[in-house]
Amino acid sequence: METKEIREIAVRAGRIMLCSGAEIYRVEDTIARICNSYGAECECFVLPTGIFVTVYGDNIESMSMVKRIRERTVDLHRIELVNAFSRGLMNKPLQYEDALEALDDIEKPHDWHLAIRLLASGMIAFALTILFNGGWKEGLAATVISMLIYMINSKISDLGIFRFFEYFVSGIIVGAASLVAIWIFPALNVYKIIMGSIMILVPGVAITNGIKDALHGDITASLLRLAEAVYITVAVGAGVGFMLSAGLRWL
Amino acid sequence: MTDILLAFASSFAGGIIFNIKKENLLWSGVSGALGWLAYSLLHRFTGDNTLSTFVGAAVVSIFSEGMARLLKSPATIYSIPGIFPLVPGIAAYTTFQYIMENKLSSAASKGIETLFSAAAIAFGIMLVYGVFRFASRLNEGNPGKS
Repeated sequence: METKEIREIAVRAGRIMLCSGAEIYRVEDTIARICNSYGAECECFVLPTGIFVTVYGDNIESMSMVKRIRERTVDLHRIELVNAFSRGLMNKPLQYEDALEALDDIEKPHDWHLAIRLLASGMIAFALTILFNGGWKEGLAATVISMLIYMINSKISDLGIFRFFEYFVSGIIVGAASLVAIWIFPALNVYKIIMGSIMILVPGVAITNGIKDALHGDITASLLRLAEAVYITVAVGAGVGFMLSAGLRWL
Repeated sequence: MTDILLAFASSFAGGIIFNIKKENLLWSGVSGALGWLAYSLLHRFTGDNTLSTFVGAAVVSIFSEGMARLLKSPATIYSIPGIFPLVPGIAAYTTFQYIMENKLSSAASKGIETLFSAAAIAFGIMLVYGVFRFASRLNEGNPGKS
């Protein structure tokens, strides 16, 4: 197989993994493993926003590639598929076309149905509101708001406006909707409702993953992820705070 | 007991949001429930948030690494939904809220709490990961397997 093709497969697999929210070391391992299984060496440097790879070897031409990564979500099933794919290559290297076809298969959308994801986001909000000492009434309000913002969020994502705008708008909606909730039922605690409903927005997992990257030695990637988490928090918090400080004074 | 069920529910639903396939959803829920059980037990006896979070994350990680070896899939599939009830998302938000309300000293202490619990979770997971990796290296004698 030609270097170009090896590079193509390796970078593509790495890109799918990185876009699905895999850890940096896992992406680097995968790229190296794919190159090795085709008998080439590789040196790669992965950041959350891009992949830099050079494929080289004794009898082959050395080639480099830079791949920019723009969107990142969390999709654990895809990570598992690519992981299985790269391990499969170690045992039995596929032909170029077959490998690309397998990667195409992995990239096909396989999300859960939107209704199920909506229910799930509601369930998260309900469960965590009560887990963090809220009442079941606050839980119900948070459930509704959480489902609302999940829906709006996926619509905005389809439009493809920049990501922090999504978070800011979601924050504004959370603030507005919880004000409506306490306007109708004044007995509810507005902060408890907000906490439950922003649970699917706040970057708890991102902060943790950022520190995990640092422990693996990927310091640059870790700082980038932590910074991203801070900006997301600020975007959500600014949206919510804007609505609350306007609304609570007015109520 | 209700708490455990709630933690199970949130990890299960988190699994759906993170697109885990059906067969693994149940296990990611169990992982969240176990982590929360360890966290809440320890939190009741010691009252120390960081230590309890650390142990909770370590329990999640032990479970995930074990399941990963049984079912031949990456451990993150169980550990990321599993730490979902433990992660300091709310603490991060509260920090920012304090900054907005100009309560800077509360913001500083909440911010430090956020960082510490995130670090506790990360260390808990990585400690167990390291031990498992060390053990499998001793067993097989070939590095590079995770």
